[in-house]
Amino acid sequence: MNSLKAKLPPMGTLGPFIALIFACLFFATQNERFLTLQNFSLILQQVMVVGTIAIGQTLIILTAGIDLSCGMIMALGSIVMTKMGADFGLSAPVAITLGIAATAGFGLINGLLVTKAKLPPFIVTLGTLNIAFAITQLYSGSQTVTEVSDGLTWLGNSFRIGETNILYGVVLMLALYLITWLFLRETAPGRHIYAVGNSPEATRLTGISTDKVLLGVYVLAGVFYGLASLLSVARIGAGDPNAGQTENLDAITAVVLGGTSLFGGRGIILGTLVGALIVGVFRNGLTLMGVSSVYQILVTGILVILAVMTDQMSRKGVR
Amino acid sequence: MSTAPNAQSPLVIQAKGLVKRYGQVTALDGADFELRAGEILAVIGDNGAGKSSLIKCLAGATIPDEGEIYLDGARAQFRSPIDARRAGIETVYQDLAVAPAMTIAENLFLGREIRRPGVLGSVFQMIDKKKMLEESIARMNDLKVGIRSMTQAVETLSGGQRQCVAVARAAAFAQHVVIMDEPTAALGVKEGNMVLELIRRVRDKGLPVILISHNMPHVFEIADRIHIARLGKRAAVVDPKNISMSDTVAVMTGAKSVDDLPPEALAH
Repeated sequence: MNSLKAKLPPMGTLGPFIALIFACLFFATQNERFLTLQNFSLILQQVMVVGTIAIGQTLIILTAGIDLSCGMIMALGSIVMTKMGADFGLSAPVAITLGIAATAGFGLINGLLVTKAKLPPFIVTLGTLNIAFAITQLYSGSQTVTEVSDGLTWLGNSFRIGETNILYGVVLMLALYLITWLFLRETAPGRHIYAVGNSPEATRLTGISTDKVLLGVYVLAGVFYGLASLLSVARIGAGDPNAGQTENLDAITAVVLGGTSLFGGRGIILGTLVGALIVGVFRNGLTLMGVSSVYQILVTGILVILAVMTDQMSRKGVR
Repeated sequence: MSTAPNAQSPLVIQAKGLVKRYGQVTALDGADFELRAGEILAVIGDNGAGKSSLIKCLAGATIPDEGEIYLDGARAQFRSPIDARRAGIETVYQDLAVAPAMTIAENLFLGREIRRPGVLGSVFQMIDKKKMLEESIARMNDLKVGIRSMTQAVETLSGGQRQCVAVARAAAFAQHVVIMDEPTAALGVKEGNMVLELIRRVRDKGLPVILISHNMPHVFEIADRIHIARLGKRAAVVDPKNISMSDTVAVMTGAKSVDDLPPEALAH
């Protein structure tokens, strides 16, 4: 009995997947266009930016932190990338590198404030949320950067499998999930991220530098936001200073829906992908049903509260 | 079973004249300390007697202001707990020692994961889960800890079993000494006995143990010698076989001085 229970994945990991299946079944009965490969490809396109941001967000939430600045940092990255190309004529690889350096740099600032100044992540990232937004607006003059080279939008191209168009950007996002999954599961630094979220004190006492782990996580999250900047530029075909505003909270929503505990130390990265897909499926399905977008936001809100409640209750069950 | 430690057993750890001040407060006021090979040495003392400062100095968590520490006769200077660990001194902390959602095997190797051979291990830092699992089973069997599955999360274990995991981890990696800070404090009678039994097995494998405890029955049941800390100094080292619990407490609280004790009560 006990060993069987130990072998089954906990409810936290299966729950989101079951929710996704039920959501798909429901929308399939409401609209015949929902259950087509082309539509699923579209959903993936719609979630690729938020899905990539949510990878970084998952890493941070696994350490019992939170990042409210993720979407704004992503927007800053996309402006840096496009303006470097437009203003200085830099080649796409250089512009992309500078953009990712900017987002990683913001991650570093978040990480330093959390580890060295010992401030709570919630407050730190609330501050950097506003700072990143303001810098983005000032640097871009609140203007969309439309002069974008092909190299920056290449990920927006698609290839065909049968009748279905698949974006290169979607492939990149899925690859990032796979790599992060392996990293968290199979490597020592990956396991240390869980350990820090689980019990920082116990982790420190085993000789692991918890500050290094945290700093690494915030910088790595910044790199993921930078890759999301690139995907955003590719998807819109421009550098948009007002990007990232829905993604900011949607990324947290995806992580929570995916079963990662806000208390840290528990969760599976592939759950976040499922969480992002749940958000995407609801948005897409409700749109196909002709439901106003305000109701989509309402449904997302209810889903988040349900997910956090499940997390809270499953934790109490364990204790 | 084990060879009983005696006055001829070599000193594993020796400390002379340790002083530690925190502002106006003198926590250690010239404390001496001796741990012999193969023994369980209990350290007792009232709150503020300096026992936790003493242990922190030995575990590298605090740097003493004055005094020397010798490990196997050689001068040792620990700048951090990691220094002490490298020197073969492992510490089991009362309550904070394990990551609850991680498996027993992962907890045993936390911070010391076995890497996979070749580039996968050295560059990609990939861990060898299979080997860690095998080693975990071997080490837990070695200490006769009756936990079947090493892949279950530590939070599925009872408090005593969790403490056993922490003790087993320390015993597995310690080359010289295991320090245990109140290992039975939060446990019930049965669970406490389970941990005591394990501590005895650790000693019988040849590792000396320093046991900090408030629980006098546990101390008297398991210790070979008892170090009594008082007012930042070592008041006495007594032999639990030749002294009563009440006399020990009397020395600890200052109600009796060492001179009041019969000579056979003192350990050598």
